[in-house]
Amino acid sequence: MDDHCTTCGDLGVEMEVLRVDEDRALALCRDAHGTRSTVEIGLVDAQPGARLLVHAGTAIARLEEQRA
Amino acid sequence: MRFVDEFRDAELGRALAGEILATVEPGRHYKVMEVCGGHTHSIYKYGIDDLLPANVELVHGPGCPVCVIPMGRVDDGIALAKEPGVIFTCFGDMMRVPGSQGTFMDAKAEGADVRMVYSPLDALRIAKQNPDREVIFFAIGFETTAPSTALTLKRAKAEGVPNFSCVCNHVTIVPPLKALLESPDLRLDGFIGPGHVSTVVGARPFHFIPADYGRPVVIAGFEPLDVLQAIHMILIQIAAGRCEVENQYKRVVPWEGNLRALDAMAEVFELRPHFEWRGLGFISQSALRLSEAYADLDAEQRFSVPGVRIADPKACQCGEVLKGVIKPWECKVFGTACTPEHAIGTCMVSPEGACAAYYNYGRFAREREVV
Repeated sequence: MDDHCTTCGDLGVEMEVLRVDEDRALALCRDAHGTRSTVEIGLVDAQPGARLLVHAGTAIARLEEQRA
Repeated sequence: MRFVDEFRDAELGRALAGEILATVEPGRHYKVMEVCGGHTHSIYKYGIDDLLPANVELVHGPGCPVCVIPMGRVDDGIALAKEPGVIFTCFGDMMRVPGSQGTFMDAKAEGADVRMVYSPLDALRIAKQNPDREVIFFAIGFETTAPSTALTLKRAKAEGVPNFSCVCNHVTIVPPLKALLESPDLRLDGFIGPGHVSTVVGARPFHFIPADYGRPVVIAGFEPLDVLQAIHMILIQIAAGRCEVENQYKRVVPWEGNLRALDAMAEVFELRPHFEWRGLGFISQSALRLSEAYADLDAEQRFSVPGVRIADPKACQCGEVLKGVIKPWECKVFGTACTPEHAIGTCMVSPEGACAAYYNYGRFAREREVV
């Protein structure tokens, strides 16, 4: 998401899971711009392909389908 | 992009604006507070305010974590950053928040080792890479970032990283809402509930608003259609004489919140008896500190901090902006002495601050057609 606030995250970043390291509760994720980063996934169920809401490097929710 | 593009559809937005217009009662004035700074940002970025009838007024709430940090806490952080051998880490926006003697950026320019991080995990990594230095993380934010800090502290404890500690400034959203609802300055008709805070805490903590104060709450997402739909849902509740908590943001917010995150927070944090909020003063049980089990990772116990209360600059009216009593452009220094480049008040620092949102997106629509 563009120009989001890095401090709070109330505009969190939506990311897609690419690879999961279950032992360390970390996942390699990609945002909409293609930037990859390591995300803490201890609070959610994350498999490759899942879409996550990430705040300050930690996924706090999985995104589910909803029609506009 | 999935989950984004469909919530920015202009045609659907115009249709929703028409439905809102059809729902309002002519001659009645509606004041709706968007609690979260993320909503404030979206409202001005997308011009949502301009789509609403003139008798629907949006009032900005206290939900920007940078904006509510009092100057004394910034001074405490700067004192720690200047301790010999310390690497001080904080989020980017925090670097520019003014204390009484300057910002973290100024402290860095004067030689303190202040580093910007995107995540508390980055701070922990720096601590592991620099075992001969003390690494302090300045934690801020509502319940959206508190789980991230909690998990990092759990990792630090489990992995035994003795040179890592945290200054905890995490705050909770419910106590300031109660304070606002008790305030005689403000008469509100409903609340757009904080979307991402609710992913963690769920909908239940907001039930007191309809139950005790008779005001509807709709938890909302951050895309333009999310915000418009939430406003519509609030107006429908008012028109039907209903008053309850509803969840517009079902694609992200589970009704019960994230139980794993709440468990982690309960283990690592405990409530402070009171905490000072910029503009709102001291509010009981409104902030978190490290629990007894994590006291050895508490920078406020490991180091000596001044802990002095500093009054806000006289010219700054952030307090009234945060309470929704005045609009940003009504502040005496808005856009003149106080700009994002040279902020006097915190509301101008963060992109989520109401003043910065007004300033950056040039939303000065003070006169609209009256319905």
